[in-house]
Amino acid sequence: MKKIVCVTACPTGIAHTYMAAEMLENAGKSLGVTITCETNGSIGVENRLTTQDIDESIGVIIASDIRIDKKRFHGKPLIEVPIYKGIQEPFKLIQTLLDGHVKPYQYHED
Amino acid sequence: MVMKELINLSLINLTLKAKTKQDAIEELATLLLDQDIVDDFKGFLDDIYAREAIFSTGIGYGIAIPHAKSKHVKKPSVAFARSDEGVWFDAMDSKNANLFFMIAMPEDGTNAHLKVLAMLSRKLMHESFREALLEAKTNEEALALLETMS
Repeated sequence: MKKIVCVTACPTGIAHTYMAAEMLENAGKSLGVTITCETNGSIGVENRLTTQDIDESIGVIIASDIRIDKKRFHGKPLIEVPIYKGIQEPFKLIQTLLDGHVKPYQYHED
Repeated sequence: MVMKELINLSLINLTLKAKTKQDAIEELATLLLDQDIVDDFKGFLDDIYAREAIFSTGIGYGIAIPHAKSKHVKKPSVAFARSDEGVWFDAMDSKNANLFFMIAMPEDGTNAHLKVLAMLSRKLMHESFREALLEAKTNEEALALLETMS
């Protein structure tokens, strides 16, 4: 089964973060994709992505309204969207990665 | 911490009268004020509106979750209201909101309630759960649904 890793985060980190995670995970189930989703909420980081998670994935979805460290995703096809897209368009985001037209992310030091 | 430490029957209103977003927010905040959870109505509302100003908490799927971390909140709480007609909440999917959760958190304090809120947020993404909430006939029924955390 194909794997996709996700990161969700929002400014307050009490609701949207988890809603987007749930939507992405459920959409993944429907599409036959294993979704591993790291949540950056006010609880802190939960379900932190491992190097293995990232290595085995076909790509990354970041649904966040705060800045996420992307260094670890260097070389991976990566989609970055505002948190609400993770809640509203989980299927579209996953399908975009599955279609395989997303360019690998290139990390640059700021 | 479990859900019933955040909400009680008096924090539920299944017949929201509000026709506007502002009225809905004030009606929800009134539940919190009446339960002595909020000590400054105006101050609390300012904090709620400050959050709404970033972007609307009308998240779509008929749900709105106005929330604030505020020094005017005495204890972490959730007020739940329902409007069968629906209220325009400037939602992401442009649909009216029927289910409203006002989440009030003190500025300091522990994080014990956050896991409960995270679980509630996840549950709200399930259509079957939303439908059950829309069909609840009494505050007791609604509370029982909210307390069922799987």
